[in-house]
Amino acid sequence: MSGDSRYEIHQNAYLKLVLHALKHRTSAVNGVLLGRSSADGATVEIVDSVPLFHSQIGLLPPLEIALIMIEEYYGEKGLSIVGYFHANERYDDFELASVAKNIGDHITRYFPQAALLLLDNKRLEDLPKGKDRSPVMQLYTKDASNWKLLGSKGSNQLTVKEPSANTVLLDYISSGKWKDIVDFDDHLDDISKDWLNSELFE
Amino acid sequence: MVSKTEEEQVNRLENQVENGGGGAWEYLCLVRKLKLRRSDKECVKVLQKKFPESKRVGRLEAMLLEAKGLLAEAEKAYSSLLEENQFDQVIHKRRVAIAKAQGNLSGAIEWLNKYLEMYKQAAFCYEELILSQPTIPLYHLAYADVLYTLGGLENLHAAKKYYAATIDLTGGKNIRALFGICLCASAIGQLAKGRNKEDKESSELQSLSAVALEKLYKQQSPSNLPLLSSTLRSFKLSL
Repeated sequence: MSGDSRYEIHQNAYLKLVLHALKHRTSAVNGVLLGRSSADGATVEIVDSVPLFHSQIGLLPPLEIALIMIEEYYGEKGLSIVGYFHANERYDDFELASVAKNIGDHITRYFPQAALLLLDNKRLEDLPKGKDRSPVMQLYTKDASNWKLLGSKGSNQLTVKEPSANTVLLDYISSGKWKDIVDFDDHLDDISKDWLNSELFE
Repeated sequence: MVSKTEEEQVNRLENQVENGGGGAWEYLCLVRKLKLRRSDKECVKVLQKKFPESKRVGRLEAMLLEAKGLLAEAEKAYSSLLEENQFDQVIHKRRVAIAKAQGNLSGAIEWLNKYLEMYKQAAFCYEELILSQPTIPLYHLAYADVLYTLGGLENLHAAKKYYAATIDLTGGKNIRALFGICLCASAIGQLAKGRNKEDKESSELQSLSAVALEKLYKQQSPSNLPLLSSTLRSFKLSL
């Protein structure tokens, strides 16, 4: 059952998603998660992520193009789309947007253990105060026909591979690193911009 | 989706047309847009002196309230302004925005529906926009995107036409429109399987778009060119 899977996200994948949300504070943003299942099927490794859009998230054409290109690129590396990330427009909005569910549903058709991650703004804000090492996201998985929250704080089902990830994140926040992140929207407006963000963490 | 300069340009034209000149007004609008909060109050006072009893100034006053976070007062101001002029799009939108910011989604939806009642569908909105300002490619592009998202053979054909119009208006440089053509051709091909074969003109259009895309990628994003080519191939395969 997908409820028993654990999900481990690599630091760079994690950072890209949060930085993207921070770059576009006044709008909803989304992204896809790339990865694979572990050999024993018990863990889903989220190896990378691609920030997608920060405007008109509900429109189909840019999404279709993005997904095709992403699958082509990562397919060659043996990775597939294993989930979706969403950050709501409003700070205190913890509802799973219907566009998130729709895209999530689509992904589960190809990868039933797909993870739907929702940015937890309150925990993000509290980061500097505590020593929270877990990712500032809520994890949802699909069980039969509904998206269920798999427990956020205190639960071990979503972890970051590198324990220092939140420290690095705080560092990047204060240095304004989020300015450098490129999403698919940016690429479609100017194709010289690299949606892979390959030089972001050099 | 829209670059900042384009957006500013459109807003500028809009204001010019509405106002028919008036340097002070335009400058103050720009100040507002650039959000130089310091002189807000002074600006509004200046405007009040110059244009007493003006609806636009009333609107600015309400926007000032909104910007200060006095949402309830702003909402009252907007509602009373709307009583006098129920077709003011900007005020309608601000009222919805306030409801959204307050988390009052049902209120926002109710007001949004009232706003949309004048238009009925997002698609119809864009039709109006295109009619009023047909040379702005962004409207054609947005309309095409909405049509494609709505789906159905008729909408896909229409979407293709609007992507083509966008390409025309942007000298073939708009990546989203070029991709749009490929997506439409592919989707139409899938839907129309077994029915009338796709006409020559349409597949020519798709090939031209593909060639244009490859050219642009070669110039501006050569590292992505192989990826683009295989993406375009997967469009053709589904035909």
